[in-house]
Amino acid sequence: MTNKVPHTLELAWCVVVRNWVVYRKDFLANISPTLADPALMLVALGMGLSPFVGQISGLSYAQYLAPGMVATTVLFSSFFESSYGFYVRMTYESVFKAMLTTPIGVKEVVLGEFFWGAIRTAMMGGVVGLVLLVLGLLPRPQAVFFFPFIAGLLSIPLSAIGLLASALVRNINQFQTVYSFLIAPIFYLSGIFFPLDGHPVIATVAQISPFTHGVRLLQIATWGHATTTEILYHLGVLVVASLVLGMWANRRICQKLTN
Amino acid sequence: MSDLSSTAIIRARGVTKRFGDFAALQDFDLELNRGDCVGLLGPNGAGKSTLIGCLHGVVRRTAGTLEIFGLDPNTDARRIKQHLGVVPQENALDEGLTVQENMELYARFGGLTRATARTRIAELLAHMSLEHKRAATIKTLSGGMKRRLTFVRALLADPELLILDEPTTGLDPAVRHLLWEKVHAFRRSGRTVLVTTHYMHEAEILCDRIVILDRGAVVGRGAPRELIARETPGFVGVFPNQAAKALRPHLLPTWRDFPQGDHICIRTPHLEDLLTLQKAVGTQALQLRPANLEDVYLKLTGRELGHDE
Repeated sequence: MTNKVPHTLELAWCVVVRNWVVYRKDFLANISPTLADPALMLVALGMGLSPFVGQISGLSYAQYLAPGMVATTVLFSSFFESSYGFYVRMTYESVFKAMLTTPIGVKEVVLGEFFWGAIRTAMMGGVVGLVLLVLGLLPRPQAVFFFPFIAGLLSIPLSAIGLLASALVRNINQFQTVYSFLIAPIFYLSGIFFPLDGHPVIATVAQISPFTHGVRLLQIATWGHATTTEILYHLGVLVVASLVLGMWANRRICQKLTN
Repeated sequence: MSDLSSTAIIRARGVTKRFGDFAALQDFDLELNRGDCVGLLGPNGAGKSTLIGCLHGVVRRTAGTLEIFGLDPNTDARRIKQHLGVVPQENALDEGLTVQENMELYARFGGLTRATARTRIAELLAHMSLEHKRAATIKTLSGGMKRRLTFVRALLADPELLILDEPTTGLDPAVRHLLWEKVHAFRRSGRTVLVTTHYMHEAEILCDRIVILDRGAVVGRGAPRELIARETPGFVGVFPNQAAKALRPHLLPTWRDFPQGDHICIRTPHLEDLLTLQKAVGTQALQLRPANLEDVYLKLTGRELGHDE
């Protein structure tokens, strides 16, 4: 053939560009919920509860919550975009029916969604981090530099969960069930709101969730006090979870978009 | 080996797609050479869209061999799709974007550089009389404009093969004629078209060959004229149903009669037969016409007998 055949990464990047072009059209509406949630939580729980909670390992409750707010943004942005967002693109807007007639294939669609999720959450994690910094909630200000990387990595297993949900639900209302029975538990029991150390059962079960490990990494970046082994353990779990869930999601979406 | 200069554009042998026990497409053969325009006709669920899916790699065939530009879509879809333009049944345009933004995205998908894309989009929008809509949001366009825009999208990467899946369904006659003219223009440049349609008139106008599918199997193929001459030669008189009783005694064994909605149709070898028949029963036919592709279609898909899907 005469033309150069484009590489998978180039085509996956096309999917990122497409999502960005559509996203920026409605930028404020798209970005505000995922940023408003952590802001509200910080006000309601951080400021509201702080006087009652006292200190946790020498931190005010607002300081304790701070890294979790980055995690919250990543969780909701990743899950909602790859569940409701992807599902609408797939089912109601038929975006892929046209896209898959171009050199883009299903693999590139899925890879593009992961890249898009990682880039978007990295930026959002950075923005939330800067706000926390201004509010004086980061004992280690350099944490701001680590947030985008941790956020981007954490988004991959979470986007994979959203994509799997998109492939498995029979209608759009079933995402609510996924939210209630999967996303809400991994959120509330992740160590964002209270230290898991005092609750061995919850702590053990929470280890299954990649989100817990992302929260831990964000807390370590914010507070320090961690051994290299601990950091490598959480990073390792996130990388493995990204690969396993990512490949699983790719397979299910592939079955969904091809016959 | 892929070879764009070769004359065979599509070569399908025994292509079969099963979903469990159900055969969506069975033993499908097709040879499409450079410059051909072939039409796929058939009721909904006959296997037309399954075939189109097989061609661009979103449906994986269960059996048979399939080559487009000498490449197998199961393994080389990306290279095939570089030279393929598809107008899918649904427009699938990004409703919130402008015409220009939407086309720039697809130009990028097709591997065009930014500069080439600009020129190409401007040319094609002008070609489809949409240049004044460049800055309009997709959702403000009429149905006909959206359809024209999906043609622009399909032509962006200058494809060798254009696949049209029910290209003019739901469009007004003016837009339909415009799109037909564009398909002819595309063919004049020596390139190849595969079209599915429910409009027999469209198939007759666009295609030099027709393949009629029913329940996944080919039930007829040939040039439109040839098919009509072979399957339903002669002329058709359309009479009101009330005349049926009066008509029957006058019908010759070589003629055919079949119901069509509220009407009864009589097909005879010569126009004079129908004129004589009119006089004999004292009833004017609602319509006297040469047999057409629709008659062939209805006969071959069994719908002539009033069977339903």
